[in-house]
Parts: sequence; structure tokens; C-alpha cells
Amino acid sequence: MARTDSLAKLAWAYGVHLARRRLRRPRPQLGELLETYSPDGIRTISPAERERHPRLVTCINCGLCALAAGRIGMTRLPDLASSYMRLYARLGDASSDVAGDSPDLAAASAVCPVGLPLEEVAAAVRRMTIR
Amino acid sequence: MTAPSAYDVVVIGGGVTGAGVARDLALRGLSVLLLEKGDWGAGTSGASSWMIHGGPRYLEYDWDTTRRSCIDAGHIVTIARNLVYRVVFIIPVLPHDRNNIERMETAMEVYDRFQPLKKAHPHRRLTAAEARQAEPGLSPDVIAAVTMEEWGVDPHRLVYANVQDAMAHGARALNHTRVTDLIRDGGKVIGVRYRGPDGATSEARARVVVNATGPWSPEIGTMAGVKVDLRPAKGIHIVYPHRISNFSISAESIDGRDLLMVAHAGFTLLGTTDDDFYGDLDSVDVQEDEVEYLLQGFERVFPAIRDYRPVRTTTGVRPTLFKWRRYEDELSRRYEVIDHSASGAEGFITIAGGKLSMYRLMAEETSDAVCRKLGHEAPCTTATRPLPGNESDPEPASDLASRCGIPALAVVRLQGRHGSNAEKVLDEANTARILCRCEPVTESELVYAARHEQVGTLADAFRRVGVAAGPCAGAACILRAAEVVGRELGWSATQRFDAAREFVRGAWLGRAPVLPHAGWAQEELAQGAMRGLMRNES
Repeated sequence: MARTDSLAKLAWAYGVHLARRRLRRPRPQLGELLETYSPDGIRTISPAERERHPRLVTCINCGLCALAAGRIGMTRLPDLASSYMRLYARLGDASSDVAGDSPDLAAASAVCPVGLPLEEVAAAVRRMTIR
Repeated sequence: MTAPSAYDVVVIGGGVTGAGVARDLALRGLSVLLLEKGDWGAGTSGASSWMIHGGPRYLEYDWDTTRRSCIDAGHIVTIARNLVYRVVFIIPVLPHDRNNIERMETAMEVYDRFQPLKKAHPHRRLTAAEARQAEPGLSPDVIAAVTMEEWGVDPHRLVYANVQDAMAHGARALNHTRVTDLIRDGGKVIGVRYRGPDGATSEARARVVVNATGPWSPEIGTMAGVKVDLRPAKGIHIVYPHRISNFSISAESIDGRDLLMVAHAGFTLLGTTDDDFYGDLDSVDVQEDEVEYLLQGFERVFPAIRDYRPVRTTTGVRPTLFKWRRYEDELSRRYEVIDHSASGAEGFITIAGGKLSMYRLMAEETSDAVCRKLGHEAPCTTATRPLPGNESDPEPASDLASRCGIPALAVVRLQGRHGSNAEKVLDEANTARILCRCEPVTESELVYAARHEQVGTLADAFRRVGVAAGPCAGAACILRAAEVVGRELGWSATQRFDAAREFVRGAWLGRAPVLPHAGWAQEELAQGAMRGLMRNES
């Protein structure tokens, strides 16, 4: 009974939906979507970043980059890749952690056993710390 | 055996439902003993999709389940604010999908009527270009998409928050304590026999015994001489140790089932399967073909999924109510409170079926049944009473970070687990050391967990504070964690090494089905660290 009732109500809703679609002109809704969820750190990334993204999250936290180059702002380099890069929806609350000078990121990348491009990681994290 | 103790109610099962029942009854002024054979939330609750959702798929079957689920989700996100976060799905429509975009949007329009009940926003409809602008990783074949909002939650912390509040109101709660038998007087159930982590057996008498053991309910039912009919269903998830996208994404599997890639705080869950399960509930393995089933279904909408490195898998068994003939995916997520007195087992109640999103309501109705039995008149208050850490707003993360000398990100994570109690947790040990850097977890939090949160193993620590949950999977932190927990619990050096080794071996079982090349590199690092530091056998 509940199943029949549910399907009947969905069928009615479908009819109403189709009628409404004919009467109303569709409007873009992406802007509203992003505005709604911006406070939750839910944002888009660019096609270029999307293509590179799998490379930016391969850190295995071995710690070798810390030996090569130290910190970015107050943050140890392995943390930047293993922690900040994974928690990026909340980075707006942690911008103070990565404010400051950057070390020799090319040297750090050179010793990374999984070939993590730390310059790109640092740029991505810094961009995401901006609310 | 120690002398029996007496309670109004013994609750068996420390998943979210059992913990919720214990909290509810304790708040109503009853004396409660809660027993869990493993760790809090280590079974079905922890192996869920980590979501408080309203269940839009039930719109096809029963709108009332959706409505009730949304109402209860609204209560949960209010009482557990620190534990929840918004999860926004993009539901792409591809050629040959089961539902076209108009049908899909119709479902979302109906679901929008229920969304305010759980404090969620209405859906949006996106063109193909907009969908790919929101998430460039979507397949070029996408025709259009709709969005849908749900809530993410850490079920381990949710379970423990309920346990914590139950204890704060007088309940006794024991993990790693297995019920070995029910004490019966004729058919009547009058208590339980249980074995603690030290192997000692005890008895507890109770006026009512509640069976809240999820898929293990038939086993406990047998002890009471009654039959509990379930149709257990196995589900697996692949865990990625980072967000793959800020948006969660749905996909259709090869057999038309809905798959979800859920963007949680610092990781991504890809799941789930839904298969009848007949095996040993205490030993549920993930098969490589189950992993392949998920990846195959998902790469159709998100082709780059195989470029990401999973860190492990999770698996659990749903306690679905019994129904003959239907496909697993069509089984209802309804629940049932069963008073077994009609079957001759007076004093014995089972709560069966249901899902995480309705745990509070299930607990309320179970507690109502218990109170009716006991003639106890006290209203349920769990819909409005905040869980621990939600009594007030936490202070800004950067303020607490600068005062305590730890990174703001560590405070953000700490507040996510402890809410307004974060500073109290940081004050537990006089150190600003970050112990697990991936998560990140402070040493103070682990000390607090060992002292006050019933952490008895490193796997408990993983569940309670997220130690070793990140991309290194414990390689960089598990020995340090063993030192800290061992120091607090009085472990010898050998016991600390053994605990770390046991954790690594346990984690391996979940990791083996998903290790690609980079995963093996990480595994070698972890195993190498163990061998080097512990002079372990190869």
C-alpha cells in the first residue's frame, strides 16, 4: 500500500514538474549553488587543477622533504602535503599556519620518493586558505 | 566470578543504537549497564557511509520513512553540531541511466519538501557545462545534473558521545566485554553473564535486557530462546585518505545500483556494495572483485578515479529486516522494536533493522518500550539535549591555537571531535606535541582518550581520535601512539611493540585489496619501520 501510494504521488509530482518546465524558462543555478556552500569550504577547482590533483595527494609522509627544506610558514613540509592538502575544506580556519616564507620547495620535491610537486601543493594550499 | 550487580536495564551492543538506548534510558533516570564485545562503534556503525541522510531513495517505497528519517536527522545535527558537516552531492545523469534528468529532478523536488526538517538546502539543477564547471572531473558524457545536500558525521565519535553522556548520567559502560549467556528464570530473561577484557566473568541482573547488537541480534536472540529474523547484507567502502572532490558524486553501478563517492572532512568514501551475507560476522573480508565493482561503476562518471590511491577498505554487515525474494538493494531500512514476551522471553527486547540516520528515534522507541515494561514514566529528552561538547559554541580555532601553541588545523580537527571541550582535552597533558601529523592529532588528545575515553588498544585510538587514519596509515605515528597509550595504561615495552604490530597487521587486512603501486611503497615503508625498530621477524 505504501509503495503504491508513494509511486502515485511521485507520478503526480512528475506531471507537475513537466508542466512547470514548459512554463518556466530555465536559469543558471551554479552561482547560487557555490554561494550557498562557500561557508562550508565547498568550492570548485579549475580543470587544470583537476588534472593535476591526483599527483598532489600522493604524499606517504616519509618525512624526507622536511630534511631537505624545513617549513612553509609554521608548517612542516610533510604536513603540508599529508594533512593540509587532505583537509582543504577547513583551511580557511587555518590560514595562519601557512603564512610566511616558503623554503626551497624544488629541493624538497627532488627528494620526494613519490615525486610530489611541492611547489604546486603549496600554491594550492595557500589558495584554499583564502576564505 | 564476581557477585552479580543489579540494574534496571542491561543493553547489549555498543553501536550507535545501543549507545543511544543507554543514553536515553540513563537520562530518564534508570540504572543502565551497556556492554560491547569489541569497541564502541567498531561494527556496523563504523562501517557505514558516515552520513546522516534523509533517504531520498525511500521516496519510491514509503514517504513516511523519508519524513521520519529527515526529522530525526534534524535532531541529530542539532545535538551533535561539532560532529556534522554538509555533504553536497552532484547527481550526474548520463545517457542510458535508469532515470532521466526530469525524473531525477522530480525526485529532488519532492525531497526538497523534507530538506528543511534536517536543516538542509534545496536542490539545484545544473546543465552539463555547469556540472563540469563545478566538478571538472565529471565525464564529458554527462547530460545534466541535480544537487542534493546531506550531512556527514564521524560515527565513532557519535557513538562515543552517546556512551559518554550515558555515563555522565549514571550508566556503566564496558567495551571489550562479551556477553556469554543470558540468565533466565524459566523463559524470563533476568540478566546477563559477561566476560571482560581481563577474562574474568561476571553477572548482572536486570529487569529488562535490550538486544541492540545489529547483525548479531539472532545470536543473542538464541540465548534467550527466541528467533530474530534478519537478512544481513554486506557492504564495503573504499577509503581514500583525502578529499578527491569538494563535491560528493553519485554514480550507477553495472547492475543499476546507486554508488556514492562521499567527500568527508579529510577523506573520501567510495561505496557501497549490498550483498546477502551468510558468513562469519566476526570475520568479514573485502574481495578484490567488490573493489573492482565499485571502481568500474564510478569511473563511468568520474574517469580519473583510478588515478587516486586508496588507503584501505572498510566492510560491515547491515542488520536488514528479513524479507523473502526482494533484491538486497530493495530491502527496506525500516526498524522494528520487538518485545519477546509473546514468545515467552519476558524481559527481553530486540531493536532490529534501521540505519545510522535514525538511531536516535530507534533508541527513543526502544526506550519507550522499556519504560512501559517497567512502569517508568519519564519523557525522552534526547531530541533536544546536546551531546557532550555541544553545550556552547567553540572558540575560534586560531585563538585556541595561538594560546596552546599548536597549528590551527590541529585545533579545527580537535574541535570537530570534542566541540567546546577541546581546550579541556588540550589541558590534559602538558605538551603541544603533534603525535599523528596526517590527521593531525595532538599527544594531549591521545592521553585524554587513554585516560577518559576507554581506549584499550591502538585500534580503539584510531576510532576515538583518528590516529593513523591519514595517508601514512600509521607508518609515521603508530609507534609513538603505542608509547603514549602504553605509558597511560601501564604497558611494558614488549606490550607496546606488540600493540603496534597488532595494529599494523589488522590494518593490513583492510588495505590489501586496494594497494596500487604507491600503496605498496607506503606499505613497505610501514613494514620496514616496524622491522627496523622492533627487530621484527620478516
